[in-house]
Amino acid sequence: MANHHPTDDLLIRHSAGQLPNALGIIVACHIEQCTQCQQKIAVYDQLGGELLVQNDELSPANLSVKADLLEDTLAKLDQPLPDEKTIQPVSDSAIPGPLRRFIPCKLSQIKWRGFAKGIKEISLGFSNGHYSAKLYKISPNKLLPVHTHKGNEFTFVMQGSFSDNAGCYRAGDFIQTDPSIIHQPKASDYQACICFAVTDAPLKFTGLFTRLLNPFLR
Amino acid sequence: MNQDPIESSPTLESLIQAIAQHRDKQAFVQLFNLMAGKLKFYAIRCGANEQDAEEIVQEALISVWHKASQFNPKTAAATTWLFRIVRNKRIDFVRKSRPDQIQSFDLFPDHGGEELEIDAESDLTAQFTRTLIEYLPDEQRQIVYQVYFEGKSHSEIASEMDLPLGTIKSRLRLALNKLDSLAKEHMSWLIIILLTTY
Ligand SMILES: [Zn+2]
Ligand SMILES: [Zn+2]
Repeated sequence: MANHHPTDDLLIRHSAGQLPNALGIIVACHIEQCTQCQQKIAVYDQLGGELLVQNDELSPANLSVKADLLEDTLAKLDQPLPDEKTIQPVSDSAIPGPLRRFIPCKLSQIKWRGFAKGIKEISLGFSNGHYSAKLYKISPNKLLPVHTHKGNEFTFVMQGSFSDNAGCYRAGDFIQTDPSIIHQPKASDYQACICFAVTDAPLKFTGLFTRLLNPFLR
Repeated sequence: MNQDPIESSPTLESLIQAIAQHRDKQAFVQLFNLMAGKLKFYAIRCGANEQDAEEIVQEALISVWHKASQFNPKTAAATTWLFRIVRNKRIDFVRKSRPDQIQSFDLFPDHGGEELEIDAESDLTAQFTRTLIEYLPDEQRQIVYQVYFEGKSHSEIASEMDLPLGTIKSRLRLALNKLDSLAKEHMSWLIIILLTTY
């Protein structure tokens, strides 16, 4: 059972289908494992449904559609639906469902890239200009440098756990950090910690040691 | 003003069920007439142009035709079910034929029938949600609309409404808190509201 959840703002924007790609995926990873948030999403979806059918005063009650749309639609009803899923995901229950299509192998077979001792990463294909999406693997007991963030960082714990001054985060937890937070995460000692992280700006490290490390962290 | 057409018969729910059970094209026509305009308005409010909006409407309604048998009134109200369909169509519309991109089924995977039964009487809950939205103060409701339809972040809404960010955040939080209590105290709230307003 997760102890750390996305904010209501993120959940409602997810339900609305309005989160940017990478952010939507990381929120979906948490929801998959969290009945509490599933319940909230069900209510927010319901809200969406009501907004859809309600005549709000900002709108013409009903927009008209072009005259032949009905006929055209009826003509298409009996055509078979095109198969939606064209990429078959690798089935590995250690990988959250929403991520599976984007990780072409089992979790244990990922070819991690290392840029610092004890921290390895891979980039996920759906990073885009504004958001970067990565998996991190942090060795047991590894203490990360003290750092703050230029923007928002969203982390979903896939395996193992880590802690910082504010708490301990286990598999299934969703953590959001922003520029007001300076922390020093530490992986727990029993198992490597694998996290899915989405950032909307590069990490900003503080301190001498980390100034050397910084360029590699983009 | 007339009653909301959803309220008068046949209901959206009964139309979907007629399609599911009898492949009833007449029911489909009724559903089309009932919903096409609203779906189009939703798509346009979300930023689609006229032509794209109609394509989204068409795809959503074709989907209703094919997926009607998956509709389960025990797990979701008809309006909720339809909302999920049109939301997903809208998301996928721009990524058509790009399977390498994130699709709606990545964001909202089907749980293969294991969907949460949030309530035995989801239609009552829908009624409750409707009442709740109606009772939200205008300013809170507007913000909820902007989040759902325009995908606006708090800060965008704030600068447009020329209000401090904190005000927007607290208004949305107020609205969400009301909805939260819906999730948490489902039945008791439902009963209280239904008893006092119907
Ligand atoms: Zn949660
Ligand atoms: Zn951090």
